[in-house]
Amino acid sequence: MLSSVRSRVLAVAAVVLCGSSCTVANSPSGDAGDAGSTLRVVLAQEPPTLEPCEASLTSTGVVVRSNISEPLLERDPGSGDLRPLLATAWRQTAPTTWTFDLRAGVIFHNGQPFTAQDAAFSIDRAVNSDLQCNVDGYVFDDDEKLGLEVSGDTGLTVHTVKPDPILPLRLSFVEMVPRTTSTTAKVREPVGTGPYAIESWETGVSITLRRNENYWGEPPAFPTARYVWRSEPSVRAAMITRGEADLATTLNPEDATEENSVAYPNNETTALRLDGREAPLDDIRVRKAIGMAVDREGIVGTLLAGLAEPAAQLIPDGVVGFNPTLKAAAYDPEAARALIREAAADGVPVEKKITLVARNTQFPRVAETAEALQYELAQVGLNVQIQMADTAAHLEYQLRPFPADVGPVALLIMHGNQAGDAAFTTSQYLRSNGPQSTFGTPELDARIAEAGGLAGPVRQDAFAAIFADQNESVAQYVHLAHMRGLLGIAKSVRYQPDSATGDEMRLAAVRPASAGEAR
Amino acid sequence: MLTFLRKRVVSSAIPLVFVVLGVFCLARLTGNPVNLYLPLSATAEQRAAFSAEHGFDQPILVQLWDYLGQVVQLDFGTSLRTDQPAAEMVLTAFPATLQLAAVTMLIAAAGAVLIGCLAAYRPNSLADRISSFLSMTAASIPDFWFAIMGVLVFGVSLEWLPTSGVSGGPEVWVLPIATLLIRPFGVLVQVVRGAMVAALSAPYTKVARSKGASEKRVVFGHALRNATTPALTVAGDLTIGLVNGAVVVETIFGWPGIGKLMIDSILQRDFAVLQAAVLLTAVTIFLLNILIDLCYALLDARVRQVVPA
Repeated sequence: MLSSVRSRVLAVAAVVLCGSSCTVANSPSGDAGDAGSTLRVVLAQEPPTLEPCEASLTSTGVVVRSNISEPLLERDPGSGDLRPLLATAWRQTAPTTWTFDLRAGVIFHNGQPFTAQDAAFSIDRAVNSDLQCNVDGYVFDDDEKLGLEVSGDTGLTVHTVKPDPILPLRLSFVEMVPRTTSTTAKVREPVGTGPYAIESWETGVSITLRRNENYWGEPPAFPTARYVWRSEPSVRAAMITRGEADLATTLNPEDATEENSVAYPNNETTALRLDGREAPLDDIRVRKAIGMAVDREGIVGTLLAGLAEPAAQLIPDGVVGFNPTLKAAAYDPEAARALIREAAADGVPVEKKITLVARNTQFPRVAETAEALQYELAQVGLNVQIQMADTAAHLEYQLRPFPADVGPVALLIMHGNQAGDAAFTTSQYLRSNGPQSTFGTPELDARIAEAGGLAGPVRQDAFAAIFADQNESVAQYVHLAHMRGLLGIAKSVRYQPDSATGDEMRLAAVRPASAGEAR
Repeated sequence: MLTFLRKRVVSSAIPLVFVVLGVFCLARLTGNPVNLYLPLSATAEQRAAFSAEHGFDQPILVQLWDYLGQVVQLDFGTSLRTDQPAAEMVLTAFPATLQLAAVTMLIAAAGAVLIGCLAAYRPNSLADRISSFLSMTAASIPDFWFAIMGVLVFGVSLEWLPTSGVSGGPEVWVLPIATLLIRPFGVLVQVVRGAMVAALSAPYTKVARSKGASEKRVVFGHALRNATTPALTVAGDLTIGLVNGAVVVETIFGWPGIGKLMIDSILQRDFAVLQAAVLLTAVTIFLLNILIDLCYALLDARVRQVVPA
């Protein structure tokens, strides 16, 4: 009996081991593919989907945008100018009308030609539909409807309800898909016009792209590209050092060296959002005191390893609306204590517990940053308790409707404005009823609405004034730092990251390093 | 034997039910996943529609009843994150964990028997002390630290092994298995050694020796057979721990197993996948428990008499 059971158990074990090992270990070239012919990219996480209308999500956009699918035009991350892509020209033909000339001779990965009908379809699908696309909420108002008119194969006219001077910029977030794409469900693996097409997606293991041999533009250098994902930053850095990957996203400062990484401005800004509806944060003296109590230079120099610079507003230089005259509040704990004492004398309950909510893995050493803030606020007489949260729990605090009965909250946020215009920041973070704003003022709301309808230098000035006003008369945000990212890059490739790299890594811009070439 | 089996199935199934119900309820206490799946500026109506579409607007008991009704029909729902059937995702990930656990336990058991027997044969000898020290150290090392050190030493510095991954030759197995192996191996060596020391000094081994049996037969034929029972029980528990807790290894090495899937599902509030993963893991642990008890009963007839109903 015993020997019979034993032999059966051994037989089952042999089948399990043999069978499954063949399933898992089936490629001689490793997860990331062959060096040289394959561009090997290691991400922090597997994209949940490659649906183009979700490409404003970092985890999706970093693979999809300008690699698999393309928009009509794109923003130059350096200059901020719009460049032609699938549209060759565009112009405002009336206050509420924009006309686009589309590129001829573009072919989708499935062999269908790209026409104005496809462009109208793609915009309609992403903006006007009920698909609940992230690009709809992030770039357009959810209730916004665009009128679309096609003339021939290459003419497209877009009508807006109100004048929209930055409509082309908004449309640079809408990826083009063929008319055969579902309008009732999001697609996991899309068809696009980009320099790469999806070859395979082995769930949990890798995504492989192959070069689009019918690409309308300059063909990319690598015939294939493969994405793998490792959530541990040390492993991502090790893969670069070891030559197992060519590019790795978001390294930690402690893992980065000059040989394995390069720092770049990633358009992200960290700040404390103070809930102005709850005492003691409903008193502007307390909010301003918090701004004075924070030692930004110290946090940047020690915890952020110098990979940041103190911030005085929610957007960095290079985004339309950036105010170069604003300076980060000086570290002045004595003045902060005086303001807190003054508020306390007027009956403000400054001793009430303030919850500082921060998100795990939001940026390197986020927990230590929260602890430093807690200490500095305690030094000026405030009672702060830290609550670390995962993304979902953090979103509960970040987005309307905010949780009830949780007391005063200081939320550590990181805002990235990849669209390049302050309208996307102010509508979310500064408007009284903005999805990520706890309060505001009617005056500021009116200025935001007015600035949104302006164009050119007056638009820049109007938004710059809004950021100054928030610091002076609202003080919902205590800005901490404009951040920099760390991209792992192997000696085998040449690539210059820019402020869009974290959200949109253009594989066609990567080329193999030639022998003896300096990085 | 059948009575024994029936009683064990009943007693083991009760925790399984509680685990499944507990995960269902606890997952929903973490909140509605609407914020993760809708645009930042989604309206209240869109949020309500999302909740209604996925049943999150219903009382938790109604949701539970619906879920159980689906499970009876082998419908485990659809992933919010990927829109794939939850059962498909779980069944794809599970073999990767199972094979890691199986290989690890085979190596741990074989190594532990060998070293445990050697250490026990001459108690307090230098070999015994070294093996005890090393096994206790192994049982105490945090697997996360060991994994990262393994990557840095054997992957980056010595360049002997790949840092991570699942595709490639046998070398991709070494670091994940070594990381998983270290704790069960340390524990098992201790258990085998202790059981063998007791067995080798028991009267029946003295009788065997007095009858002229060879030392090899005394150690492996008599003592080891009797020392197997406690070792098997511990090995069973350790195997269950491996199936359930390969999270660190899978996360660090990018191994697409059930542990990583569970963590991702928790972080993404992907309830259907989480529930399916927990259910499959619980069923596997349930079956492993039955298997261990059966082996235990086969090895020791006294066990069959004392199993509670």
